Amino acid sequence: MIEVQHLTKRYGRVTAVEDVSFRVERGEIFGFLGPNGAGKTTTMRILTGFIPPTEGKAIVAGFDVFDQPIEAKRRTGYLPETPPLYPDMSVIEYLTFVAKIKGVPTAERRQRIQAVMERTRIDDMADRLCSKLSKGYRQRVGLAQAIVHNPDVLILDEPTAGLDPKQIIETRELIKELAGDHTIILSTHILPEVSQTCQRVVIINKGHVVALDTPDNLTARLRGSETMYVQVDTNGLDAAGALQRIAGVTRVAESDRRDGLVGYEIESQHGRDVRRDLARAVVSNGWGLLELRPMRMSLEEIFLSLTTEETPTPMPAITEGEPVHE
Amino acid sequence: MSNILAIAHKELKSYFASPIAYIVIGLFALLYGYFYVAILAYFVRQSLQMSEFGGQGPQAMDINQQLIRPLMTNVTILVLFVMPMVTMRTYSEEKRSGTIELLLTSPLTDFQIIMGKFLGALALWGIMLLVSMIHLAILFVYGREWKPLLTAYLGLLLLGGCFLSVGLFISTLTKNQVVAFMLTFTVFLFLWIITWIGSFAGPTVDSLTQYLSIIDHFDDFGKGVIDTTHVIYYVSFITFGLFLTAKSVDSERWRA
Ligand SMILES: Nc1ncnc2c1ncn2[C@@H]1O[C@H](COP(=O)(O)OP(=O)(O)OP(=O)(O)O)[C@@H](O)[C@H]1O
Ligand SMILES: [Mg+2]
Repeated sequence: MIEVQHLTKRYGRVTAVEDVSFRVERGEIFGFLGPNGAGKTTTMRILTGFIPPTEGKAIVAGFDVFDQPIEAKRRTGYLPETPPLYPDMSVIEYLTFVAKIKGVPTAERRQRIQAVMERTRIDDMADRLCSKLSKGYRQRVGLAQAIVHNPDVLILDEPTAGLDPKQIIETRELIKELAGDHTIILSTHILPEVSQTCQRVVIINKGHVVALDTPDNLTARLRGSETMYVQVDTNGLDAAGALQRIAGVTRVAESDRRDGLVGYEIESQHGRDVRRDLARAVVSNGWGLLELRPMRMSLEEIFLSLTTEETPTPMPAITEGEPVHE
Repeated sequence: MSNILAIAHKELKSYFASPIAYIVIGLFALLYGYFYVAILAYFVRQSLQMSEFGGQGPQAMDINQQLIRPLMTNVTILVLFVMPMVTMRTYSEEKRSGTIELLLTSPLTDFQIIMGKFLGALALWGIMLLVSMIHLAILFVYGREWKPLLTAYLGLLLLGGCFLSVGLFISTLTKNQVVAFMLTFTVFLFLWIITWIGSFAGPTVDSLTQYLSIIDHFDDFGKGVIDTTHVIYYVSFITFGLFLTAKSVDSERWRA
């Protein structure tokens, strides 16, 4: 549905995005993860035809964004970083205008607008001026605007930025609902968002793709070593020595102790499952096994380790901070 | 075409949603009225003097030469002040608020967006001209000399179109409305005084600047004559202004 090939974008001497490639399949929710200035917005602007790439190409819904912009744009819905609202229009006037320029046929327009207003829960704001909307509602109108022409592809730049927790959950639910008939790319620097909503994630940093995988695989891949948590009833005895002797275990640390129950964090070599041996050791010592579970490294940690790692090639000059929106 | 109209409609509505439309229409109508009354008073005094000296009364005087032409000359000066207010926000505001991202990622061509914006502004100018006609209603009532008025208004519409196309171009250059206004006004002033420069600089330059001067081409319209050369001049001028706008929008895309 979306294919990006060796995309590079330079602003003068600043390289915002360099050699980015990925594919997104139909119906997928694809996450774009990266810190400020990573090049998320730049990539999305290229995909939506707002700016041309310096090199490379992008194909959206079967059309080259650069060679057949009108066809590609017809099939794309876009929510920019700041929802592009006209302050002096009411919500319904605004959506009517957007429906017109997106090519929604006159006969279907009214009904389409009603449907998206219900879907994004803004129907009670239909006659409110856009300038009088709260941040959360602006974001929702932005989303309504992006789906009014029922596009194949939805590109959402930080759709949950600035929303309160309840709105964030609602928005994520909405995005998941939409995924069925739309292919979605969303950018974020909120990590739980990615693991909760996206099927695949690309992590970019300073314009480079650092990793591309499912959230689960990324988590797995990044665990250099695996960590287990066990809780045992030893009647006050120290189990650390016995656990340490299990083949493959590299480190044992007591993490909590309460009412005679002791919890241990056990690190083992990467790719080696020590759960069976652990259970056997506990039982053969006559202790009670109360809990045994893998401790996952949170995506946060992955993210940090990914984006703080240095890229092998020397980087061109990159300015940090807010991009200048020209 | 429906895309162009959608944009034009949105533009026109946005003028009326802000004070801009009321300010420019009010200002134009007011100053127009002032010039009209002043020139009419002068005209009436003149004709009374003529009848005292045994002339045949007011009717015999040339309303066209004595009234409409001087009026139109003054109106062209008004255009100079009012038009930058109309165009200053067309692109600047879209760039500042980020709505340009909506327009440029919608299935629209640059041509449709530019034409829509131009026609929206031209429609506002048309409304201003209509409002100003109230002053002239009395001349229609007397049933005389309506032809030079019509041609003068056609000329004004075209003349305004020229200024609008230049103003549109300038508003693509900045996201600051005030800068857009100042720059537009300066360019208009230059386009306006270019004739005077010519008249000081000798005959060859003079004929060149006369050709370039938007105002000089208006003269015949004020006399009640539609000369195709002038119409073609204005239409080409507008086309050129819109062409510059298109170029600017396109190059912006590569820079942004
Ligand atoms: N118009 C521009 N002119 C010059 N440099 C720009 C422009 N837009 C973006 N950049 C630069 O390109 C790089 C990538 O910016 P981009 O906006 O794509 O980052 P982002 O990942 O969206 O960041 P954020 O999380 O802050 O939104 C940044 O270094 C930025 O300064
Ligand atoms: Mg961004």
